[in-house]
Amino acid sequence: MKWRRWNNLIHRDLGYFCFGLTIIYAVSGIAVNHIESWNPSYTIERSRTRLAEPLSSDGLDREAIASILAELDENGAYKNSFWPDPDTLQIFVEGNTLTVNPGTGEILQEKVSPRPVLHQMNYLHLNHPKKLWSWFADLYALFLGILAITGLFVLKGKKGIAGRGAWLSGAGIILPLLFLWLYY
Amino acid sequence: MRQIIFGAFVLVLLAAGNLSAFEGDSFGLPLTLSEPTMVSEIEKSPESFVGKRILITGTVVEVCAKRGCWLDLASDTPFKKIQVKVTDGVIVFPMSARGRTAHVEGVIEEIKLSEKEALEYRSHQAEEKGVPFDPAAVKGPQTIYRLKALGAVIEK
Repeated sequence: MKWRRWNNLIHRDLGYFCFGLTIIYAVSGIAVNHIESWNPSYTIERSRTRLAEPLSSDGLDREAIASILAELDENGAYKNSFWPDPDTLQIFVEGNTLTVNPGTGEILQEKVSPRPVLHQMNYLHLNHPKKLWSWFADLYALFLGILAITGLFVLKGKKGIAGRGAWLSGAGIILPLLFLWLYY
Repeated sequence: MRQIIFGAFVLVLLAAGNLSAFEGDSFGLPLTLSEPTMVSEIEKSPESFVGKRILITGTVVEVCAKRGCWLDLASDTPFKKIQVKVTDGVIVFPMSARGRTAHVEGVIEEIKLSEKEALEYRSHQAEEKGVPFDPAAVKGPQTIYRLKALGAVIEK
């Protein structure tokens, strides 16, 4: 078998194999690239509400916290509470954090939920699992390198690396260098 | 035979040494310390802890919403907390950690900020937390003490 046939065969099959991961990395890549403008993994829903009656900060025990949660129809499992200052009580329940001003009865709710699909994609892309996933991700990176190299030699002639391919490959090398020159 | 038994014993000891004393979700390096330092002790004389490797335990009261690159742990002193910082991407704390008990091991670091830097830092923090920022609250240069985390276990 000629070397180009082997080259194209490897390129084709690795391309099929890498399809799923490439889509995950591409979508997650765009999502985390704009982390300054949005949270790519979680939706945070903030809302303000007010208790029917203000409370006294003294003696705000678990029972009182339970009654606050009941008034707000908050059924998430209670986790803990914290006083960041004498006038503010934070109540942590599963999926929600309530910041309560007992004196005024004002409450800020922050409901946090993972973005469907994106949360999982980012989890893999940002290598949160570590362990075996790190090795698999390394293997994927190696496959991408092989895909890039074999891709150069898929076609011969004017549309191959000797013609059009040289110009496009050159552009793909020069553009990152240009950005390095601009920003580095 | 005796050597094999001795070798197996050493292996068991080593394996046990790697087991954390805490149960939950692990982040970063395994914890090597089991005796926590009270956050109130650090608050009393933070400069004496700079560069020291310690373990602290407390309720997670805030998590960086964007990158999961820091969290605040409640102190044992009322109304106080301490910030735990990690290198971006090395450890990512989930937002679900809020309200849970965390055991964090790391090194206390000191950051000296000029007034301008302190303004930028506090403004950035307020933006991340989604709370209003009052520039008048920053008066003069500031020194921040925080725990640079190496590993953590967050209880479920």
